[in-house]
Amino acid sequence: MTLLTAEALRPRRNWQAIITLAILLVVGFLVILPMVFLVGESLNIGDPMSFPPEAYGIKNYLAILEEDINVLINTVIIAVMATVMAIVIGFTLAWILTRTNVPGRDKLERLMELPYYMTPLVGALAWAVIAGPKSGFVNQLWKGAGGGGDLVDVYTYFGIAWVMALFEGTVAFVMIAASMKSMDPALEESARVMGASKLRTTLTVTLPLVMPGVLGASLFVFAEMLGSFAAALVLGIPGRIYVITTAIWDSTLSYPPDYGRASAMGLALFVVMFGMLTFYRRVIARGSFATITGKAFRPRPMDMGRMAWVLFSVCLLYVLLAVVLPIAALVFTSLQRFATVILSQAEFTLANYQTALSLGPVRTAMGNSLMLGFGVASVGVLVMVILVWIIYRSQLVGRGAVEYLVMFPQAVPRLVFGLALLWAWLNIPIPIYGTLWLLALAYFTVMLPLGVRTLAGVVLQIDKSLEECARVCGAGWVYQMRTVTLPLLKPGMLAAWLLIFMACVRELGASVFLMGPNAKVIAPSIVAAFASSGTELTAAMALIQTFTVVAALAILFRLTRGVTRELT
Amino acid sequence: MSETRIDVKDLVVRYGDQVAVNGVSFTVGRGEHLTLLGPSGCGKTTTLRAIAGLEQPSGGSITIDGQTMYDAAQRRTIPTEQRGVSMVFQSYAVWPHMTVFDNVAYGLRVRKQGAEELKANVERALDLVQMRHLADRGASKLSGGQQQRVALARAIAFSPTVVLFDEPLSNLDAKLRAEMRVELRELQRRLGITSVYVTHDQEEALAISDRVIVMNVGVIEQIGTPEEIYNRPRSRFVADFVGSANIVKGSLAGEGLFATDGGVTLKVVASHKPHGKESEVAIRTAYIDLESRPGDNHVPGTVRQRLFHGDFVQYVIDSALGPLIVRRPPVNLLDEGSVVTISFSPEHCVLLKA
Repeated sequence: MTLLTAEALRPRRNWQAIITLAILLVVGFLVILPMVFLVGESLNIGDPMSFPPEAYGIKNYLAILEEDINVLINTVIIAVMATVMAIVIGFTLAWILTRTNVPGRDKLERLMELPYYMTPLVGALAWAVIAGPKSGFVNQLWKGAGGGGDLVDVYTYFGIAWVMALFEGTVAFVMIAASMKSMDPALEESARVMGASKLRTTLTVTLPLVMPGVLGASLFVFAEMLGSFAAALVLGIPGRIYVITTAIWDSTLSYPPDYGRASAMGLALFVVMFGMLTFYRRVIARGSFATITGKAFRPRPMDMGRMAWVLFSVCLLYVLLAVVLPIAALVFTSLQRFATVILSQAEFTLANYQTALSLGPVRTAMGNSLMLGFGVASVGVLVMVILVWIIYRSQLVGRGAVEYLVMFPQAVPRLVFGLALLWAWLNIPIPIYGTLWLLALAYFTVMLPLGVRTLAGVVLQIDKSLEECARVCGAGWVYQMRTVTLPLLKPGMLAAWLLIFMACVRELGASVFLMGPNAKVIAPSIVAAFASSGTELTAAMALIQTFTVVAALAILFRLTRGVTRELT
Repeated sequence: MSETRIDVKDLVVRYGDQVAVNGVSFTVGRGEHLTLLGPSGCGKTTTLRAIAGLEQPSGGSITIDGQTMYDAAQRRTIPTEQRGVSMVFQSYAVWPHMTVFDNVAYGLRVRKQGAEELKANVERALDLVQMRHLADRGASKLSGGQQQRVALARAIAFSPTVVLFDEPLSNLDAKLRAEMRVELRELQRRLGITSVYVTHDQEEALAISDRVIVMNVGVIEQIGTPEEIYNRPRSRFVADFVGSANIVKGSLAGEGLFATDGGVTLKVVASHKPHGKESEVAIRTAYIDLESRPGDNHVPGTVRQRLFHGDFVQYVIDSALGPLIVRRPPVNLLDEGSVVTISFSPEHCVLLKA
């Protein structure tokens, strides 16, 4: 063997340091700068359109308390109602699917993922069709059966909360189920061995152990509800019920747009959400007792006898309300000239799809959204992999701060972040405002937490010594990343790509502020169509969006099946 | 062992406030097989990783083949990939997305070796571990023992000057571990590899090493050949951790004499120069006879308990030295209650450092 010693390994330029620095600068710029602009504008008490502000003060904040106090009250009422409903849904489903012998448990669990593929926007539109006053399907049937007035009305506090809860219910389910699954069954069994009854065991052992999980889920869901936009936009505006997100949106529409007020409201919302999420982290970190051992147990399910079929129906009912019924209602609506459930009056037509697909703006918007999704997901995943590697693998000083930085957009409601970006790029002398480039930057920034969290899960699973071994064999950082780290991360990168792609195509909150007349994207276009044209056309557009995403994902799954199979 | 390959001086490694390695110095000669032995958390793996450049030390120096790899005073650190050392990891770290061949070829490809030479070298390495027939197999489809062999082949394929072993056998079952131990020793001798080996298994350490370093809480307790470590433990820790020993308390009573607290005077040896404050001697359980031999220390005793282990019998003997544990071959079994004479050579009654 020829002797290959240390001299054969030329010293290399320190690519790791160069790439790390470049990425940190860009990410820091994207995340921090808009927030700085937002804070500045919220303190602007001069001409709201001038930059930098002519005078500073807290008038904008005081104005919220004086003029918009009912908005705050609305927000809290709806968020509390929605959280309670979502937690009830989540807890019930989690308990049924982890602790009882409900038939077809595994299949049902898969079904629970379905609501995730719907968006709150699509859900809200569908429920407007189902339960809107007068023309809603339920009310049409009620009237047809001889009833007077409206049986149901979704344009109410309860209606908004109901739709929000339906779609956040699956998030609550996942979180609570996780804490139920990770409970060591021996804890319950030992209570039974000591002579406690089933009920007593549930009350004294099971519930206290699951409580931190439920509390954590409640905080998380509540924070999400405070910042949620789509349902309040679709269902709140017709009944003039404003919550903080729609009020922010509204104050930028007035003439002249009151960016100062909007910024102040946005920041206030951000501070509250940030507080909730911090509290949530505390609860999760402290309250897990010893039940969370990182091992997934399969607790022995309780035998429910004939009740099992009742529980089975409960699960199906949820899927029916959250997915089947909304999609069916939209499909039904989109195929008619005037939406009705009275079949004798129905005139079926494909004209709505024809209109939607022939409308230039809709086609461009769909095309733009797909292009953005593709581009942001592809470039984003590569950058995020390196970020994740820096945070979880490198010895870089201050990598904890980097983690904080990239997870930061999670605490900022999309809408507020969109507003911040809008204000920042209106005033930065780089002319990308109103172009797809700004949307791309915005999407990348708001998707950072999603992508980084997904990839981190995979990076942490890779044994560190696989990478160290490459270094010991003489590979530099770039070579090691290329030959070992990235190939091992392939399945994770694919998953992150799909999630980001999906999220981009459906993005609403940031897009409403950032799209320009020549850079339209699909979700805000659907909202605009709902406000200006009939529900039939809107339904067709929403379905086109939903099925384009599903089709794109199906194609990708097919193309990449080889990749995932190879490593699993 | 004339030529020094690795020279570690006053090595200190800190994790935050904790000191994992606290001033460790040793050298490894050409072709020597040195083992770092100690309980988990003693700093042995950290020391090894510092040599590989995978941990950043905070003090001392590391020299390999005369080249400074780390020096705190000069603020000099050579990155791992330029140190030219090789390493076998505890988890094997066989890359699951590559074939066996690609795994072994990695270090050669990094060094831009030509295709033909590379193939020859990989095959030679695979032959050494009898894995050539599996060269095209995906690495994720290998058993634990096979992964171990691939990791070994990969570590030696690029002819490194030094190979580091981080508990390479600890994930194998007992039988396979014993087999691999023999193979590893043979391979190491045949190729003349200089190696540093980390283990917490004292049997393994004694069996395959030229020299053993026993570590505890970040410092070296004793350096010596396996026989020296076993026969002349320097401290209570080494006596306890390596093999099994009876510890008897007392005090020095003149040149080579030790008065036990039970009033018996024993003839003892020491591996160091006694300074008078020593209060313990160690007697290996295997070196105690139950029939008197001339020239030995003799103490009368009674068999309190007998445990039959198969390969040996363990007796607990009550005597003036306190209860002593004695291990004998499983022949001529003594009944509990038998009266015996405990007998052990002064050579095996070792004065421990205070």
